[in-house]
Amino acid sequence: MIRFKEGFYADVRVEDRYLTTISYKAGILEQMSTRNEKQAFLRVYDGRMWYYASVTDVDNIQRTLDGLYAAATENPAILEDPIVRRFERNRAKLSSFADCSVRDIPVKDKQELLLSYLPILSEDDCVKLPEGTYVDRSSLFSFSSSLGADISYDYQTCGISFTFSMAEDDRQFAGHWSKGGTRFDELRGLDDIIRAAVKEHAFFLRSSVPVEAGRYPVVLSPEAAGVFAHESFGHKSESDFMLSDESMRDEWQLGKSVGSPILSIAECGDIPGAGFTPYDDEGTKARKNYLIKNGVLAGRLHSAQTAAALGEGLTGNARAIDCTFEPIVRMTSTYIEGGDLSFDELTAPIEKGYFIKTIKHGSGMSTFTIAPLLAYEIVNGKLGRPVQISVITGNVFETLGLIDGLTKDVEMLSFVTGGCGKMEQYPLPVGLGGPFVRVSEINVQ
Amino acid sequence: MEKEFIKETNSSVTLNVTAGRIDSFREIERTTGTVRVYENGCVGVAGALGEPDEEELTKKAKDALIFGIPYPERLEGALDMEELHDDELIPIPDFIPTMQAFLDRLGKLCPKFAFSNKLSMSRNRTEYRNSKGRRLVSSSSKLSIELLAQNRGSGNLFDTFFVWSGNRLNEDELLAQFKKEYDAFHTSADIAPGRYPVVFSDIETVLYRFFRHFTSDAYAAGASLLNGKLSEKVFSDKLTVKDDMNPLTNHGCCFFDAEGCVAPDMRPTFVENGVLKGLLTTKKSAEQYGIPNLGNAAAEYDGIPQISLHSLYTAPTAESLRELVPGKAVYVVVADGGDSTPDGHFATPVQMAYLMENGELVGRLPVLNISGSFFELLGKDYVGTVRDVPVKEAALTAIIMDVSKA
Repeated sequence: MIRFKEGFYADVRVEDRYLTTISYKAGILEQMSTRNEKQAFLRVYDGRMWYYASVTDVDNIQRTLDGLYAAATENPAILEDPIVRRFERNRAKLSSFADCSVRDIPVKDKQELLLSYLPILSEDDCVKLPEGTYVDRSSLFSFSSSLGADISYDYQTCGISFTFSMAEDDRQFAGHWSKGGTRFDELRGLDDIIRAAVKEHAFFLRSSVPVEAGRYPVVLSPEAAGVFAHESFGHKSESDFMLSDESMRDEWQLGKSVGSPILSIAECGDIPGAGFTPYDDEGTKARKNYLIKNGVLAGRLHSAQTAAALGEGLTGNARAIDCTFEPIVRMTSTYIEGGDLSFDELTAPIEKGYFIKTIKHGSGMSTFTIAPLLAYEIVNGKLGRPVQISVITGNVFETLGLIDGLTKDVEMLSFVTGGCGKMEQYPLPVGLGGPFVRVSEINVQ
Repeated sequence: MEKEFIKETNSSVTLNVTAGRIDSFREIERTTGTVRVYENGCVGVAGALGEPDEEELTKKAKDALIFGIPYPERLEGALDMEELHDDELIPIPDFIPTMQAFLDRLGKLCPKFAFSNKLSMSRNRTEYRNSKGRRLVSSSSKLSIELLAQNRGSGNLFDTFFVWSGNRLNEDELLAQFKKEYDAFHTSADIAPGRYPVVFSDIETVLYRFFRHFTSDAYAAGASLLNGKLSEKVFSDKLTVKDDMNPLTNHGCCFFDAEGCVAPDMRPTFVENGVLKGLLTTKKSAEQYGIPNLGNAAAEYDGIPQISLHSLYTAPTAESLRELVPGKAVYVVVADGGDSTPDGHFATPVQMAYLMENGELVGRLPVLNISGSFFELLGKDYVGTVRDVPVKEAALTAIIMDVSKA
């Protein structure tokens, strides 16, 4: 039982994290490990400074907490502090994965699943270096605060990821396919899908042509659209960047037009998948937040510190990658809402353009970039040859205004490895997605 | 049965900066322990977070042999070596007042900028022992200044970085350099599309996207752009590239790899004067492909060693920036999100860059696109590298690239 002290705000976050990693390279077992770590992150706030500590000795949290209290200055009015006043005092126990915990699945079963797919990677002779990885994570979180918050919940992801370095004659290509989920059974029965993915990558190796650099209409897949939403606007919605420069508040007034009228981008921690965050790392309950609604700036993402500074409400977006770091403003699951077109209707008006099907990575500041993996020409409304594109780039606001078509259905995705990076904290698991999105012009290189 | 024992302790004190003021203090100490045992051509690994119990880890590592993970039993031979570079940089009680005073001076020099992000002191201590009699101890510390600068009123997440890391902070020299960048930021500049030397403070912006091609796995599989070129002259005479594990230039790093290998000058060399001298390897991949092991292994505390690149070192070819790039050049501060096509064509946007003339910053350039091809970038278009410029413990590399406006 943690003893909190009056005259300070304090909270304690504990994570019991279980991880499995199994990997094969060229048919040879490379990694096989299960890890169980328990760590805690402690925060004390005296109304002027935050004092943090990360500990692995979770049986002696009180001693570390008392050390932080000693470094801080007692503040009898701490409960009136605008940050402290914003903290929620939730009390909840949430168990979403007790019936299907990856902790209960024998490692041998995970290995056999991965092994069952590996031969498919080598069915085409062009695959020279097949690699496969299985990963899972089960986390049990608990959070308590000096205000009386007392929360526990679980989190789970699992996935398989394949890379296949291909070479034929003087052509080379590094292919990649993965599937993430929250339940082990979601990873079964994927043989045909993986086989089709390898064939498509082999076709790309043999048939892709260099892109003619220029500005073209581009159709983004749900994967590319999700990364675009995350990188182009999601990071701009993280309001900690507004704390240092007060003039930012005028630049980013809610209600300002920031994109095409058909564009809505939303964010929510309650969506199952990698971004599942039913309570953030300050104990705030998840809720749906619109960042852009019908082209208009509708909201932004907050921690208690940023919400207090900007006089806005909490959003449930204070997150840390683990108990080594303090929570900062981060995304959970970010997506573009659907429109009213079919895929054929989306491509029909394009005389010459490109379809970005899968991606390697993306980034975004004033200029966003997406590095495509699989991309295709669009000629007279139809998909054509595979094309090699190093990056597509554009000014964020200009591009948001050039979105002129959306398909109906939204697909959410979770990446198996990697995640979102923000300064020192990488990787944070996030969800992302969207419909197929048409942009009338993007710089393609 | 052969055995390796590794204990690593990372400790850090980190300050968060908001609007030029320090508003949080974070202290972390993390110790991990690893035992790897080798028997019958296989490896067993066990790791623990916290103070390691070697006996218990050894038992668990022996149990893990049952997984049958193939690995050669070729441990490094006897050597007793310590490299201790962990002098206290700033006493912890003085860290906040010292850095706040630095921030106050910076704020006065650069009043139109709002500064945020992190200042930290970190220390890494790694001990390695093996059953062949090798005992290595590495200890290294560094101070890192990683400030984001927002030009007030720009509406951007950030406009430029002020970054430095090392273990000998010369405040006056660093502030003078930051002031030069600040003045250049507020001077508009332009450049006509064409081919120019592009100066990078972080050569990884370009080379990281080609990392895969230097690995022994990709090379042996025939999936590298460098296929068949080992020991051949491939790049510019001026280009020497090493994996920097030398604490004198890569502050805070460990001088040996995860398998206890110590390279000459603590920097495994894979390109020397343009010749592809070696490939990135672990002991396993080196044996598998019959090539010398450069010693590029890294490992999770409970994982098998994997090929890794710790940090890039490019050998100096010039004494000054003016000598390196005597005419017009593009000085890159932020170039994020670039990549290459399968045939090696590299392109990236440059979100923040300065025009440089005769080695001096002239003004801020608009958003650019830069591009080039792998063999040309590191071949005929490689200009060279200058070290300890513009401040001590920094390095700048110049490459001629196609430059256009975004």
